[in-house]
Amino acid sequence: MATLELIDIAKRFSKNVWGVKKMDLEVEEKEFIVLLGPSGCGKTTTMRMIAGLEEVTRGTILLEGKDITDIPTRDRGISMVFQNYAIWPHMSVYENIAFSLKLRRMPGNEIKARVQKTADMVKIGNLLKRLPGQLSGGQQQRVALARALAVEPKLFLMDEPLSNLDAKLRVIMRTELKAIHQQTQATSIFVTHDQSEAMSMADRIVIMKDGKIVQIGTPDEVYFKSANIFVAGFIGTPPSNFFTVKCSVENGGISLQHPNFTLTVDPHEFKELQEYRNKDIIIGARPEDILIVPKESAAFTEKVLVVEPQGSHQVVAFKLNERIVKMIVSPEIKVRPNDTIGLAFNVQRLHFFDSNTEKRIPLGREEL
Amino acid sequence: MTSTKSFLSLDKESKKKMVPYLLIAPVIIYYFLFWMFPVINAIVESFKSVDGVWTFDNYLYIFKNPVFYQALFNTGFIVVFSVTIEFVLAFGLALLINTKFKGSSIFLFLAIIPMSLPAVAVGAMWSSGLATRGWLNSLLMTIGLIDDGGKFLFLAGGRMATMWLIIIIDAWTVIPFVMIILLAGLQGIGEDVREAGAVFGGTKFQILRKITMPMLKPTITTAMILRIISAIQIWLIIVLLFGFNRLPVLLEQVVLNYDQLGAAYFERIGLALSVLVALIVSAASVFYLKVSGSFEKEAVQNE
Repeated sequence: MATLELIDIAKRFSKNVWGVKKMDLEVEEKEFIVLLGPSGCGKTTTMRMIAGLEEVTRGTILLEGKDITDIPTRDRGISMVFQNYAIWPHMSVYENIAFSLKLRRMPGNEIKARVQKTADMVKIGNLLKRLPGQLSGGQQQRVALARALAVEPKLFLMDEPLSNLDAKLRVIMRTELKAIHQQTQATSIFVTHDQSEAMSMADRIVIMKDGKIVQIGTPDEVYFKSANIFVAGFIGTPPSNFFTVKCSVENGGISLQHPNFTLTVDPHEFKELQEYRNKDIIIGARPEDILIVPKESAAFTEKVLVVEPQGSHQVVAFKLNERIVKMIVSPEIKVRPNDTIGLAFNVQRLHFFDSNTEKRIPLGREEL
Repeated sequence: MTSTKSFLSLDKESKKKMVPYLLIAPVIIYYFLFWMFPVINAIVESFKSVDGVWTFDNYLYIFKNPVFYQALFNTGFIVVFSVTIEFVLAFGLALLINTKFKGSSIFLFLAIIPMSLPAVAVGAMWSSGLATRGWLNSLLMTIGLIDDGGKFLFLAGGRMATMWLIIIIDAWTVIPFVMIILLAGLQGIGEDVREAGAVFGGTKFQILRKITMPMLKPTITTAMILRIISAIQIWLIIVLLFGFNRLPVLLEQVVLNYDQLGAAYFERIGLALSVLVALIVSAASVFYLKVSGSFEKEAVQNE
């Protein structure tokens, strides 16, 4: 039995404004789920409905099999970390963490032990007497975290908890949060718009757009088998590059024609593409799946526009048919702007999308 | 001209240092000319007789006059009850409007109407309303609650009845003001701290007591101080409804002495009384800040 089940839930804010149009999701015990999407996609609204901070327009929410759709927030057995921390400025760190335990009438010495334990877990055990105003942003976030952990909830909700931290601290906290999850094993839902945060933390990612789920999958699945053009473009930095090509089948081979290049692929391995004979297909190429090759064996040549060194790799951009294409190459390769380079695709790793539906064309060879 | 010259001849560093003083100079001059000077003058004059001789007689006259103690008690009574009632009702209204229910902005608009009326208009309105043949009795008769023989004699009550009437009218007038301040404070408190209260097990009442009110404390203190100060200074509505000396209060006595009795001798007593009122207002404010713990909080934060 799943820990949390969302059955056909929806949220309407006003007559024609839907926060969430339709949402079905099952979260397994101990799982770390990330709701990912651009702003306005309904991810935070979904979380707020699970927390009971937002009423559900339609649908049912089950927590451990029990219908909690109409139960008040405080009786749901959940806890939450808010984007702006939402710790109480007039209470000391200790009082903040102990708040829920006191309301539950837990014995005093147990409260003390629990507060110390959770505060130590997030490394603020020495700050218990301080007021939040005397803490840095990162420390305040840890207080919010400790307060949520102290409850030992059935479900742990996090609403963009790292988005107010500076870039460096964000990456540190990411790792710590993952370690804390491995230690506490609390079933968690994490909302973010940062795809690299989602990739690095999630057991499964739920990608949302316009109030609906676009794809649910492990980080590898959403990266290597993106369900549609939106996901392929949203996941990964730099995002995938897209090329519209015409598909033709000649002499038993499939050829994909672009104004600047023609790709010929194996008709057996890519037999599903045969159905698109004389139709348009959209190719999605990850930046690392475009390769610099000697000009003789290149699919096409192009002039380099800019080079962005990143240390571990470099991003090389060029213009193809008036659109900027970005690729990732190893730092050993020396390229300079205006160099003419030979380019090819790692055909095995390309994504193919239907140009009408923008959905992935499933290839049989992938279902291994 | 000379000052300009000497300013120009200064080196850059000292010019820079002078800029802030130059910028605040107009305010300081204004403050001394129109504020400090009259105040100090009033204090000095209150210690002088009509002939310009230093004396305590003005104060002694006040302290020997039983009306002063009556005025002191009446003012205190009105302050305690009107400020309490105003706070409770205004806070309730502010909480209600802050829930942003449908039509809350129209409700807010209606609720602040009394605030926009000048005191004289309020006095005229209520004195015509509370008269035995006034609109309040007419209204009660129209809706059938009383008949012609049962008219209320609102303005003819004893001292307590009179004071309660004043308290109610004062509350009616200033509740919008207190409500606006509290509402502004409430809107400054993020929704999320209250939501966190709900997530971590608080009932609506617990959230109000343990989160909203403590966080609103600076605003509450401000509103209360402002209200206490202006409640101590109540007089116009009383004079408009009852005339002088029916219900003596502190400031009414100041006006009576300074303005109404005519003789220069009374003017000085009026001055002495206003100095006393100023002292009482300051003492009350400090007392409130002390009781509400506003001094301590800063000490904790500075730790």
